[in-house]
Amino acid sequence: MGYVAVKGGQDAIECANKLVDYFRWKGRTKPIELDQARTQMRLAVDRAMGEGSLYAPAHAALALIQVEGDSFEAAFHLRAYRATLERRYYAEVLNTREMFVHRRISSTFREIPGGQILGPTRDYSFRLLNPALVNATLGSIEKFIGNLRDEIDSAKIHEMTSYKKVIDIFLKEGLMSRQARPGEDRRVFDVTKEAIKFPVPRSAALQMLARAETGALMCMAYSTMRGFGMSHQTVGELRVGDVPVRIVDRRGRTRYVGKIKVSEAEMVGGGGSGRGARPAAEGGRQSRNSAAPRFSIGYGLCFGQNETKAICMGMVESALRTPNPDNPANNQEFVLYHTEVIEAYGFTNHLKLPHYVTFQAGMESYRRAMRAAEEAKTEEVAVSAGAEEDDND
Amino acid sequence: MNDAPLNGNSNGKGKAGFGPDYTLCECELEPLRQLVTKLEESYPVSVVRSPSVCLAMIPAEDSLEGQKFYLGEALTTECEVKVDGKPGFGLCLGDEPVRAYCIAVVDALLHADGSAPADIESFLRQQEKAVARRDQDEFDLILQSQVDFKLMEEE
Repeated sequence: MGYVAVKGGQDAIECANKLVDYFRWKGRTKPIELDQARTQMRLAVDRAMGEGSLYAPAHAALALIQVEGDSFEAAFHLRAYRATLERRYYAEVLNTREMFVHRRISSTFREIPGGQILGPTRDYSFRLLNPALVNATLGSIEKFIGNLRDEIDSAKIHEMTSYKKVIDIFLKEGLMSRQARPGEDRRVFDVTKEAIKFPVPRSAALQMLARAETGALMCMAYSTMRGFGMSHQTVGELRVGDVPVRIVDRRGRTRYVGKIKVSEAEMVGGGGSGRGARPAAEGGRQSRNSAAPRFSIGYGLCFGQNETKAICMGMVESALRTPNPDNPANNQEFVLYHTEVIEAYGFTNHLKLPHYVTFQAGMESYRRAMRAAEEAKTEEVAVSAGAEEDDND
Repeated sequence: MNDAPLNGNSNGKGKAGFGPDYTLCECELEPLRQLVTKLEESYPVSVVRSPSVCLAMIPAEDSLEGQKFYLGEALTTECEVKVDGKPGFGLCLGDEPVRAYCIAVVDALLHADGSAPADIESFLRQQEKAVARRDQDEFDLILQSQVDFKLMEEE
């Protein structure tokens, strides 16, 4: 049965739209200012930019205010806005080694070049609600910042610097190689320009994971650790910070245009032996000339401070490089289609739209089947009643 | 191996290599706007292309094998002007029409023949310091969270 177009409900829709605003405003609270949302809902803004695949903090904040904090809708609004704009430039390839580091940690080595810098993180805090926060004022904020500056230990400060990477340690020891995997498709694919066909090149997987839904990606990554995969990678290095963006302008000059905040994870795969070690095909790699295994990394990079996403992206991209039909996370099509936020959210929510005709067709089939069952039952009763009569004879 | 810090920090090149664009993109908007308002009094500015937003795709690469991929797009504003007949081009991230216009005007005067107006030179010197101070202040705070590991038996 084909689709049948229906009309109607326009007035109801207009009223429903107004009711959204009514329910937002009926408490008559002060409207949230854009700058407040951008700065004080920092992580929600970062997540929306990542999933919306558009680095635009003010617009992400507006989206979040508009949709009352729904992360799916915020990403959807950003993707829709993105679709109205012309892509006039391709920036130069980001160099994350230039990062103004806000935070960088490693769980593979205690001593890392430049040291472990915790930066802004809740990792080591109790998850206790803080009622004092509701009493914050501009005055108390100024005081807090002033105190923080007063507490600076001058022994700990030095000139601004970028940092060497933890993978440099592995490279120096010959435990990692920069060589690409033989036979791997290295094309630079753009999923926003070309339709994907599986298997996709690694670049397409990385692009899709970078804009994937954080929760869905975490689900995939978690599955690889829980038994639907053999992975228990370690955070070689996790960084959060600002990276400069350069664009070649219309006159051919390379220009600095600003910086973007990113989270970067280099997840180190197995190697060595014992529990947790993985065979070469699973991430630890055999070098060509010797039987010595090499470590490899799963790479995670996304807009904003979204460490969970960067870590999960690293784990999942690593799993995707070793296909295995037994595990969901090792299956490109399963992972990339089902972590795509707009498709998943859109399809789920389309279920709320009228399906009257389709459902009526289903109902009719049920009714026919029920009638057939009733008739069969009547016939059966008649037959058995006839048999009983025969017995009585 | 864990006990031996392999090396210290690489020498961060600071903001060298970025040119005046770093200062123009990162400084406070108001002083930049004031500078350009003043320049407009002395130089005829014509707008070739009004400030408009567009997208810049940002490529990245995995840090080990160098596999390039597209990370996502960034909202960008661009503007093109002519100052005294000399072309100037402004580009910056975000929806920043005023900044993009100001960068374009300064760009035209910086790259015109002869030396740049003294106002621009002194603005850049002053703002470069202010931006560097702001960055360093934040870096100082961040460095306070550097971990100083102590072995348990040392305590």
